Amino acid sequence: MLGISTSAIESRQTGNRVVIAGISAIILILLVAAVVLFANLPDANAFNARVERLFVENNDLTTQAEIKLLEILAGSGTAFSATLDSYRFVIFVLLVFATAMLIAAVAFLVMLVVLNRRMGRIERKGIEVNSLLISREENTVYLNNFEFKLTEAAIETLSVLAEARMDDEVLSGAEIEAVISGRNAVDCDEAAGATRIKRLRDTLGNQMISELLVKNIARRGYMLAIDKDVIRMV
Amino acid sequence: MTRSILTLLLTVLIASGAQAACFADYKAKQDNPLHLHYGVAQIDGACSADAARAELQPRLAAAGWQLLNVVSVFDDAGLQERKDSAGDFYLRY
Repeated sequence: MLGISTSAIESRQTGNRVVIAGISAIILILLVAAVVLFANLPDANAFNARVERLFVENNDLTTQAEIKLLEILAGSGTAFSATLDSYRFVIFVLLVFATAMLIAAVAFLVMLVVLNRRMGRIERKGIEVNSLLISREENTVYLNNFEFKLTEAAIETLSVLAEARMDDEVLSGAEIEAVISGRNAVDCDEAAGATRIKRLRDTLGNQMISELLVKNIARRGYMLAIDKDVIRMV
Repeated sequence: MTRSILTLLLTVLIASGAQAACFADYKAKQDNPLHLHYGVAQIDGACSADAARAELQPRLAAAGWQLLNVVSVFDDAGLQERKDSAGDFYLRY
């Protein structure tokens, strides 16, 4: 139990590391893309330089009308470059959106992998107790929200064991008997405690198995409460 | 003797007249936004394209224009045909 939860934490830590590495890689890619995007788009001066070269290289381009036309050409180039600027911004916003999606996808993927691993471990383990709630008044114990009715003596035994577990103690049969009966541990019989444990296991185990494995369908009979694909005969 | 003096005088007159009437047509620009102009200007120094360039550059720069190139240098004879093209910039700088 303790080993399992430790390795679960470990896998979560590895997952976190992978997520952080992935996210920083994505941000790095985004930064590189942004730099390339902003550095490579042509600016207004590219058009102006072309027009200027045209003007210088052609000696007969001297009339006022022709020069005015050249200026208009350069002006429209500048307007086009302003449009490109807005495009560049839109592209960048889209890039940021896409990156956010990518980050979310990677995070979810890693979470899914970790969760799957955990689920697989839980499946193989059978049942992992995540919560144990003892209700002494109703003589009921709740294991992972499964409700089990126990006898008064069995609840007593379970309570003693739960308290000992909270203090990280291990009780011998005699000690269990001593706590429940209120006598001194040296006067108690080891076998009496063992009997209490056996009764607790019997009732609780019986109910657990009937809840988890061997179901009783009213007025029809009994059935294994498992997927038929998982059954194999050796 | 008198004839030779007259000839000399005439030669000097023609030479000085030719030197006084030296013009250049050039192309210049302004940046942001781009403005271009073709103009004609009188050259006071030597009558060559290089000299005209050296002379026009500071003159145009003072008015906020950048000289692109000097197309040619010419005398009075070429002035009239370039007047229309130069427009506002005919003998302005």
